[in-house]
Amino acid sequence: MRFTLGMRNLALASLVIVAALPAFAQDVKIGYAIARTGPWAPGAQVTQEPNYILWAEQVNAAGGLSVKGVKRKIELVAYDDRSEMETMLRTYEKLMGTDKVDLVLPPWGTGANFAVMPLLQKYGYPVLAPTATGRKLLEMKNPYFFAMLQQPDLMMGALAELLVSRGVKTAAVIYVDELFGLENVGALEAALKAKNIRIVEKKSYPLGVKDLSPVLKDIKAKNPDAFIGITYPPDTFLVTGQAKEIAFNPKVFYAAVGTAFPVYQQKMGATVEGVMGLGTWNPKSNPGTKAYFDAHVAKFKKEPDRWASAHGWAGLQILQQAVEKVGLDRKALRDAIANGEFDTIIGKIRFKDGENVSTPGIVSQWQKGEFEVVWPKARATAQAIVPKPAWK
Amino acid sequence: MGFWLDLTASGLITGGIYAVVAVGLNLQYGLMRIMNIAHGEFLMVGAYLTWWAHTALGVNPLAFLPVVMVVLFLAGLLVYRVCFLRIARGAPSVEVIEARSLLVSFGLMYLVQNAVYLAWGADLRGYSFLTEPVEIAEARFTANRLVVFAFALAASLALLAVLRFTLIGKAVRAMMQSPVGAQLVGINTATLHPVVFGAGLALAGVAGALLSMVYEISPSMGEPYTVTALIVITLGGLGSAAGCLAGGLLLGLVEAFGMHFTNPSLKMLLSYGVFIAVLLARPKGLFSK
Repeated sequence: MRFTLGMRNLALASLVIVAALPAFAQDVKIGYAIARTGPWAPGAQVTQEPNYILWAEQVNAAGGLSVKGVKRKIELVAYDDRSEMETMLRTYEKLMGTDKVDLVLPPWGTGANFAVMPLLQKYGYPVLAPTATGRKLLEMKNPYFFAMLQQPDLMMGALAELLVSRGVKTAAVIYVDELFGLENVGALEAALKAKNIRIVEKKSYPLGVKDLSPVLKDIKAKNPDAFIGITYPPDTFLVTGQAKEIAFNPKVFYAAVGTAFPVYQQKMGATVEGVMGLGTWNPKSNPGTKAYFDAHVAKFKKEPDRWASAHGWAGLQILQQAVEKVGLDRKALRDAIANGEFDTIIGKIRFKDGENVSTPGIVSQWQKGEFEVVWPKARATAQAIVPKPAWK
Repeated sequence: MGFWLDLTASGLITGGIYAVVAVGLNLQYGLMRIMNIAHGEFLMVGAYLTWWAHTALGVNPLAFLPVVMVVLFLAGLLVYRVCFLRIARGAPSVEVIEARSLLVSFGLMYLVQNAVYLAWGADLRGYSFLTEPVEIAEARFTANRLVVFAFALAASLALLAVLRFTLIGKAVRAMMQSPVGAQLVGINTATLHPVVFGAGLALAGVAGALLSMVYEISPSMGEPYTVTALIVITLGGLGSAAGCLAGGLLLGLVEAFGMHFTNPSLKMLLSYGVFIAVLLARPKGLFSK
């Protein structure tokens, strides 16, 4: 008995030494699961994962991540979640529970973030999510979850302000039958009502729709000043193409997710001129966005999107600044993020109850090959063109 | 009047797209009982080849159609040789062919999808081609949708003619009814089988090429198209070329009118409602014998 106890103590002691030894020069392990295949992949691979890779590369090139002043290399531990909720959850469980990586980065999309939130809290990993939006997420009051994106009420509020400033009196709305569409259309209705803009038509449509011309023809007949589509990427392309097809050209044409994607303009060409949508930045916004844009294009030979890509980068900037200040103690890190103010490429950012309360709602518009920020004035890189020019 | 014409036309055009998607699978499953669940993936390959030829080499997508057809036909022969030959030969009955080919093509689905991920990445892709509106009797349509519709009509009618009026068509139908009997009367099923399978893949590729002119493409785009194709050919009657066209058009019309008079969100309910109604009335599809 004595013997085994002694053995055990010895074994324990050696374990402690082994565990403590490499901690000096050890790499900082940062894990995540994100879609490289499956239906989430187009979004994840434009908006999110390129940021992670570029950031790790830049930080390592500069000597490493400064952990309270000590530079340590970043090692990304990345997995493909195959656009499956189960795979994504299991991977995070493994990363945080078994592998015990130092930090984790968020998965792509509102749904996946919503699903992973309880795990983040269970294991105590702070996360700054660039592609999760909705008050429902914030209502969970998860202390480890920080939402980078502007919430629907801000984005729709900004749109309503722009519309009323340009004399828009009536609007027609279509929205996708998903949490995203429902929440945004609710926010939009409230915002338009507050500005006395009348909604002449409101219709929902299902994901994966292949033809929206019957709906658009209806709306065209009602001749609204503004068309607002709370749309997802495939449908964003569809409504744009079909509005042109039936020559429905309202004063303001707005579509939601996907308008900020470079592929939107690459595919549709000059057709997108004058289309408005969810955006936040472009290379002209400030020297930081310019440097980010150039580095992204140089590395991946493709452009980041003009909305949430920058939020993704800003989230990494915040994480980096917080780690520099308080190190890798995740509780301290969480507190530092929750209570600090940080400089990012989309301006100073502060959080209140997990919500980014510094970045305002923004409207952007395609003008001559760039998604110009047109509202609010303080962030604008160009004047809004209203009425929108005829379809090309 | 103009309004009815408008809705009818837009329904027919969307229906034409559905028919084009289904035509290739109709050959493989309808006539040969090879349940190629990777149908949508081969359609996606056709779309990617066309996109790539157009954006990287500047080739006109319409001129590229024959190339896609040949490439996928050859790919079809290869896939048949590697994956389906043993199944078709060794299976004691068509039901067994169905079940085994389903499993094999599941694997194919992942293989093809991931090959495209490796080659071109996961991004959404697309290009602009024939997007100018064309005015027909006060209704406006983009030219690329009309091209798809024209192709759907042409392909279905050509297939119908081949199956009904030519000796090859007769041989194909005979092979379907009784593989052994067909061999006994001197039909070379060892050649015919892979050729019909290859033709199915070629048609899937062309459908993808046409769709790439209208919609955006991504490596995961195939699955929903496989489902659409299955619904269309079941609705029309397995193996029937006319049924495939009619099934597609019917779905398109129901959606156009349904979306106009009810709500677009009810699209699925309407499509499946029609599907179930037809199957209740005619369990083997509209054009089955």
